[in-house]
Amino acid sequence: MAVLVGVLALATVLGLLLRHRTGRARSAGTAASTRQDADGLALDADYGTAATFVQFSTPTCARCPATRRQLAVVADQHEGVRRIEIDLTERPELASRFDVMQTPTVLLLDADRAIRTRFGGPPRPPELAAALATVLTAGSTGTAGTTGTADTTGTQEPR
Amino acid sequence: MTTTNDTDRGIDPRSPRFGAAITTVLLAATIVLTLIPETWVAGIVLLAVIVVLFAVGGIAGIRRHPYGALFRRVVRPRLAPPAELEAPEPPTFAQQVGLFVTAVALLLALLGVPYAAPIGAAVALVAAFLNAVFDVCIGCLLYVWLVRAGVFRPRRGVA
Repeated sequence: MAVLVGVLALATVLGLLLRHRTGRARSAGTAASTRQDADGLALDADYGTAATFVQFSTPTCARCPATRRQLAVVADQHEGVRRIEIDLTERPELASRFDVMQTPTVLLLDADRAIRTRFGGPPRPPELAAALATVLTAGSTGTAGTTGTADTTGTQEPR
Repeated sequence: MTTTNDTDRGIDPRSPRFGAAITTVLLAATIVLTLIPETWVAGIVLLAVIVVLFAVGGIAGIRRHPYGALFRRVVRPRLAPPAELEAPEPPTFAQQVGLFVTAVALLLALLGVPYAAPIGAAVALVAAFLNAVFDVCIGCLLYVWLVRAGVFRPRRGVA
């Protein structure tokens, strides 16, 4: 009986932890040293000119269709924002490259296709909106279009 | 694809959670029974029943699962209509995971490996409990880990 209680307690802690973490925005930072690009995932035309959502999905992901619709709505509301969805079954090497541990995982790219924010699990709508606003604002101030300027560091704390 | 708007294919997302709740209870009983020498045989029989139920859901598909029929007959009439339907692939995958874990545990237990039954049941219990209580989607997590472990090879010609 004690064993059973222990297993259930473990599962509860695990569940609370997962629930706490899922869908949170995690800032990727824009310093040149930590910068990671997400170029070449799709055709150039599929990327947004201001920002791009990259969603990693699999066929066994129950949450992915809802996230797809969520991102489509947000992308439609903003000029220059587009959405790319990738089935990891077809391109498994991308799971390691972008350290995907669950689906959906969503990357928010800026105009230069650098990863600015990542979401593990279905993005929480307010955090998604805040992260996108940060990218779009930074994009418009520095639109003169220098690649990889580090002066935007720290401007996006999503919490 | 996981998008499901056609009523023929889609399932009520609450149905797999209902089934996972029953599975959780059965696995909990298995742990207790197989830890007590006097009831070990009864616990093994129960584990075998669970293996068969997972096999039905994992091989015939989640829509053929007896818990699904029970849900439609007893639970569904008492609930409001589902907000949306889900694709059957994710819960079917979860059934296959459950089948694998419990079948291996049953086999090892019958071969005389000590504690194989309660340990296997505990692993499956954690997954079923997370599914039932926290609505954790097993296919969203485990499938990606299998992709990263190289279980699924990149398909040639798909780029």
